[in-house]
Amino acid sequence: MTALLQVLFDALSLGSLYALGALGIALIFGVMRLVNFAHGDYIAFCVFAMLWPSIDAAAIVFAGNLPTIILVPFILAVGAGLSVLSEIVVFRRFRNANPATMMIASFALGFVIKYFLLMLYSSRPKSIDLWSNLTQQIEFFGARIPPLQVITIVVTIVILIALTAFLKRTRFGLEMRAAAENFTMARMLGVRANRVIMLAFAVSGMLAAAIGLILVTQTGTVDINMGANLMLVAFVATVIGGLGSLPGAVLAGYLIGAATVIMQVVLPPDARPFRDAFVYGAVIAMLVWRPNGLFTSKATKQRV
Amino acid sequence: MSLLSVDNISVRYGQLTALRKASIKVDEGETLFVTGPNGAGKSTLLKAIAGVVTPREGFIQFAGKHIAGKAPEDIARLGFSMVPEGREVFGGLSIDENLRLGTGMRADKDQVAKDMEQIYAVFPMLKDRKDQQAGVLSGGQQQMLVIGRALMAGPKLIAIDEPSLGLAPKVIDDVYSTLIRLRDSRGLTLLIVEQSATRASLTGGRMVLMRSGEVALEGDARELVKGDALRQAYFGYGEH
Amino acid sequence: MADRPSILERTWSTPVILIGILAALQLAALAVGSGPFNQTIIEIFIRVVLVVGLFVFIGNSGVISFGHIGFTCLGAYMTAWLTMLPAIKKSKLKGLPDIILNNKLAYGWGLVAAVIFAAIAAYVVGKVLMRLSGIAASIATFAVLAVIIQVYSNWDTVTGAQSSVVGIPIVRVVWPYFLCAIVVVIVAYLHQISRSGLALRAARDEATAASASGVNIPRERLIAFTISGGIMGLGGAMFAHSVGVVTPDTFYLGLTFITLSMLVVGGMNSLSGAVLGVVVLSIIIQLLRWMEKGVDIGGASFALPLGVQEIAIGVVMIVILMYRPSGLTRNRELVWPSNKLSARGKPNAPADGKTA
Repeated sequence: MTALLQVLFDALSLGSLYALGALGIALIFGVMRLVNFAHGDYIAFCVFAMLWPSIDAAAIVFAGNLPTIILVPFILAVGAGLSVLSEIVVFRRFRNANPATMMIASFALGFVIKYFLLMLYSSRPKSIDLWSNLTQQIEFFGARIPPLQVITIVVTIVILIALTAFLKRTRFGLEMRAAAENFTMARMLGVRANRVIMLAFAVSGMLAAAIGLILVTQTGTVDINMGANLMLVAFVATVIGGLGSLPGAVLAGYLIGAATVIMQVVLPPDARPFRDAFVYGAVIAMLVWRPNGLFTSKATKQRV
Repeated sequence: MSLLSVDNISVRYGQLTALRKASIKVDEGETLFVTGPNGAGKSTLLKAIAGVVTPREGFIQFAGKHIAGKAPEDIARLGFSMVPEGREVFGGLSIDENLRLGTGMRADKDQVAKDMEQIYAVFPMLKDRKDQQAGVLSGGQQQMLVIGRALMAGPKLIAIDEPSLGLAPKVIDDVYSTLIRLRDSRGLTLLIVEQSATRASLTGGRMVLMRSGEVALEGDARELVKGDALRQAYFGYGEH
Repeated sequence: MADRPSILERTWSTPVILIGILAALQLAALAVGSGPFNQTIIEIFIRVVLVVGLFVFIGNSGVISFGHIGFTCLGAYMTAWLTMLPAIKKSKLKGLPDIILNNKLAYGWGLVAAVIFAAIAAYVVGKVLMRLSGIAASIATFAVLAVIIQVYSNWDTVTGAQSSVVGIPIVRVVWPYFLCAIVVVIVAYLHQISRSGLALRAARDEATAASASGVNIPRERLIAFTISGGIMGLGGAMFAHSVGVVTPDTFYLGLTFITLSMLVVGGMNSLSGAVLGVVVLSIIIQLLRWMEKGVDIGGASFALPLGVQEIAIGVVMIVILMYRPSGLTRNRELVWPSNKLSARGKPNAPADGKTA
């Protein structure tokens, strides 16, 4: 029972990170068919925004010293700002380009962001102490669970509810959903393309910032590569969920999180180092079985 | 002055010329049919006006503004409402949301609720299912929905591309009788692309015939269908 | 459909020009003759092999693959296993079969084995995946890369896991690399004008029409995937012998993206684009590396800070793609000026560079 509880919490908290990442990628894909490989670098950028630029091994915490109530909105704003800026400076010029060209451009942008961070902060991982008391474990029905896991899960659920409300209940949300389904038609009904796309980038950037905050608290280190792996899993989740489907992206994120944690438990010890290989093997099987993803809407099937 | 005037526009897709110096005019309150064989450039003409494709040359004026090359949303905001070929409902949005989408750009917010009531009165079937996803509707119902959606945008002119495409004859009759009713009761200006000249003559209004990207013939729909000129122009052996 | 001799007649100048470009690099290496310069030229030849390998599948099929560097990894380790001294293998890679453990082959055989092994792996993978298209196919190929890298990073007794495998015989002369690059360009060219290659390109541009006229798309894709897998394996083996060290990390995302970028920047639907993309980006990278080390301008030494090189490459790539979304070659092939007209009429060179 306690072991099961432990697995459940592990799976949910890992899945939460993947789900938030997948959501950030799916939002952008929905409105402009762009697979944004720079997303992982947004995550790293947001975390580094807490530090003062220096190539010393020790981190000089700067914005990170702000009280939580200011720090969180500040980091979210950094994420949104960077994301919107990349839309205005780079992606806007690729609106009519083919998906491969856009994808490579986004990769190049990610490259630029990463080496910009390297130039300012060096490539050495630095440790930073942010809300470290959250990682101390507490007993919960016999399972040892760090409060951070609970917070991760709760925060993710709150974000998902807020985003759903935003998409379902507001004018912006309606326009974004319409744009994701059929951009040209939405524009012919007066939906402003630039505004909707910028908004999608802003929300996506905030999601990246949220991931950054959770990751840095979990690991206690900042590293220019910290978003890369998560972004890849999120990217896979977006496709498994059915490109363009936001609920699909979230569910697939949780699914991969659960698969990873469960594999860790059920695989024989000899095979455990190969856990990720098994997870990706399962991804291949899933794609062969359901090439259009688990939850494809009719609209995306015709167009992708 | 005409509400819409298209002046010598040309559109090319790569090597292919879809429109060759085409010109049409639509006056306020009138119904203009654009007809012609497949590939004559009818849909391209509408897309060029709506801003979905950019003409290589020529002028388009709508409601007193030059709109050639403008973004679709800016053209829509001037009061040009488009119902494209294949209807293009937002299948994942509810019927109510489909109808409300075009109202975001309207200045007369208090009129929106009244219009919604009217639309639902004209299409009671839509009201019954207003919270369902639009994707579940049949082809004819979707056609009604997109006409309703275009109306909700509070347009000066509605352009419809092939409203009868893929519909059963009985349903086509319904669509057109609704259109005529709305036109007469609300004084709408209509620009309709329709392959069937007979359908145009039944509805009444002016008609232009396009062929190979050019306007080949123009006149009153009923007169044209009666005469021989239409058939000759349609099949392309008119000029000796 | 045009018959084969006439295609050959119309397009033969493309591989000749491309080989000419490679020969110019080889001559430059001979003329300069310094070790570091040779190493730079060798790097370019290896990248030419890798990017042309990508082109054979991606360019012809229009399906973006993120997984090809996995086959490069397979090739690199295969040649390492076969050509290292038995003594080293016995101490570090005990899990290898005895016959490999106790023998040592010449590097030429290592290259051949790498090609065969990678091609077989590509065939097996392709057999499963070639039914997919679009983004699903891209993600599936990425998952293949991830599986390969995960296995190679953790299989202690056979691959040395994440630690470097050292002691691979190093080949410092340039001409074997030059030769491999030429062979690969010719193979890619012959595949491109073969019946299978033409069918695949037709399917890339007009999938419905091609399959309606009897093109078996999964089969043609599988052929291209297998050939390109073999070429990627060769590139991996060449890499292993150029530096003498391999680690799984070398063959992950960094290399995947730099090679893909070279292909897209060059123009992903043309063989010339693959070669030109490598040459142009390599020259830019090299110039920036020199500037990073410091250049003397008017007596004052001037060096770029660390990281600027990569930032500049990223910016250059974005700018090229902004102004030439279909690549430097605009997806056309390089041809002699005299037969430019006929080449422009080629059905497989759409100007807009749209892919499925």
